[in-house]
Amino acid sequence: MTASMLFWIAQATPEELADQISLDSAILAETFYFWTVVIMWLIHVGFMAYEGGASRRKNVMSTAMKNILTIAVVTPSFYYVGWYIYGCFQQGWPKDGHASTDGFCGLSAPWSSAMGPNLQDHITGVFFLAFLLFSWTTGSIMSGAVIERIRLSAYLILTAILGSGVWIMDAAWGWSSDGWLVTGFGFHDAIASGVVHGVAGLFAFGVLLNLGPRIGKYAADGAARSFRGHNTHLTLMGLLLIFTGFYGFYAACLVIQSTVFPGWLNIYLSPTTLGAIAWVITIGFAGGFTGGWFASKGDPFWTLSGGLAGVIAVSAGADVYHPSLAYLLAISGGMVAVWSGHFIERKLRVDDAVGAVAVHGVCGFYGVLLVGIFAGGYPTGVNQIESSFGGQLMGIMAFLPLAFLPGYVVSWVLKKFNLLRVPPEVELEGLDMAEFQQDFYPEFERVPEIVIEPDGREVDGAPVLLDAYWQATTNGRAGTPVGTGEERS
Amino acid sequence: MFDAFPYDEWSEDIAEFWTFGGGGSTGTWILTVLGFAAMLVAFWGFVILENRKLTHQASRLKASGALDRPGTTSGPTA
Repeated sequence: MTASMLFWIAQATPEELADQISLDSAILAETFYFWTVVIMWLIHVGFMAYEGGASRRKNVMSTAMKNILTIAVVTPSFYYVGWYIYGCFQQGWPKDGHASTDGFCGLSAPWSSAMGPNLQDHITGVFFLAFLLFSWTTGSIMSGAVIERIRLSAYLILTAILGSGVWIMDAAWGWSSDGWLVTGFGFHDAIASGVVHGVAGLFAFGVLLNLGPRIGKYAADGAARSFRGHNTHLTLMGLLLIFTGFYGFYAACLVIQSTVFPGWLNIYLSPTTLGAIAWVITIGFAGGFTGGWFASKGDPFWTLSGGLAGVIAVSAGADVYHPSLAYLLAISGGMVAVWSGHFIERKLRVDDAVGAVAVHGVCGFYGVLLVGIFAGGYPTGVNQIESSFGGQLMGIMAFLPLAFLPGYVVSWVLKKFNLLRVPPEVELEGLDMAEFQQDFYPEFERVPEIVIEPDGREVDGAPVLLDAYWQATTNGRAGTPVGTGEERS
Repeated sequence: MFDAFPYDEWSEDIAEFWTFGGGGSTGTWILTVLGFAAMLVAFWGFVILENRKLTHQASRLKASGALDRPGTTSGPTA
């Protein structure tokens, strides 16, 4: 075989060799994206473990099922709608008309020749798949925030809108080489601090405002109680799986083009290298863990969440940051996550079960702003528009309503039809009995549920939860989110 | 390239088989519409089936009296 190849190379014309190199490059790109997707699956596995561990025993399967069925709904909705949005809305509204047969817009329609088996196209399938995994990730970011009281079906509707509509629209605007935020304002968010994390976190915040806190989350004076997750080890392992998957996420954010120096481009088609982002993600975790540890005074959950927040804070500029700069910024990101998480829980009284709004939402947009400060002047995209604080701010101003309003409005509509939240009786008993008619740890003895009071005391949860339940139901508003203070008015 | 098999000609034939017609063909359109419709039906099913389960369980819990008086009952099962 080797001899025949050498013989062929010796006999081949320059044109034939060029064709062969071109084909090899295409297959390299195809293979590269395929394996990034395999690694990115670990993000999804991690989110399921993370959220399942953070939930109470009575809700573990209903929590995990959200993550599993995310795949069931986001995959087809992204195939039929999401990819088309990315292809056709990069300049705002399609200038050449919807499903024009020319260019990327036409090729992104689900009936196009690029969206199925095609021997002439090595890239679309795997590139689509990488974006699909980003879409699952946005759904999973919201998923953790709403556990233990949202209806599974409501979550599935919301995650399809987020994963196949909202985030991919902002990606078209600010995470593509032709996006109007990029070509017009030099918006720079290389590894998706804002377009994935920030937007998903803000969407989740809009949903949480309508969903309300879990029964008994807040005491009569408004102070926040804590619910103990049923398996902290599972939660921590899930976070580490997410971190592992992030390497695939980071790699998939680059464009590989092995026939052109330097071989790698960021999503805006500006040159970079895989090594550059590898520095930043790794030292970003280090800084994030450090910041999370000190800001939370050693709390295990927030230390690991700080690692995630640190990476998210430096992702937007991961293609240009020096590792030392990334380290310092990631430390600040880990701290910002802890502080904003406490503010959201204790001051805003929004029950985000896993701190997703703080870690992804706040730190995502924080990372976008950091680029304007620390990477201002960098020529972004094929038009080489300089990144700037104003350009980054422009992107955030475009994304804020795009992310918040759909989450808030759709969840409000679902709430009006009584389709957003499970009945309070079901929430008290646990969602698994209603959804699946079984306990998922049958071999383990049941122990009384523990609630941690605001002063740190661990108390029997049953009287606390029943009291909170009765505060709402005796007011004749059983569907009212309990513990918000709303029922006391 | 190695002249072992006429892949270029062959690919045209199997493309027709794989996709029930090429891009933009009637077959591809029909498959797209059917798939999209199946997705919408699945969404509807998720809502209806879950609502039925939750309503049934909430009614059963209310009828059982387990939640009748705060602080004096066994409360939630977990």
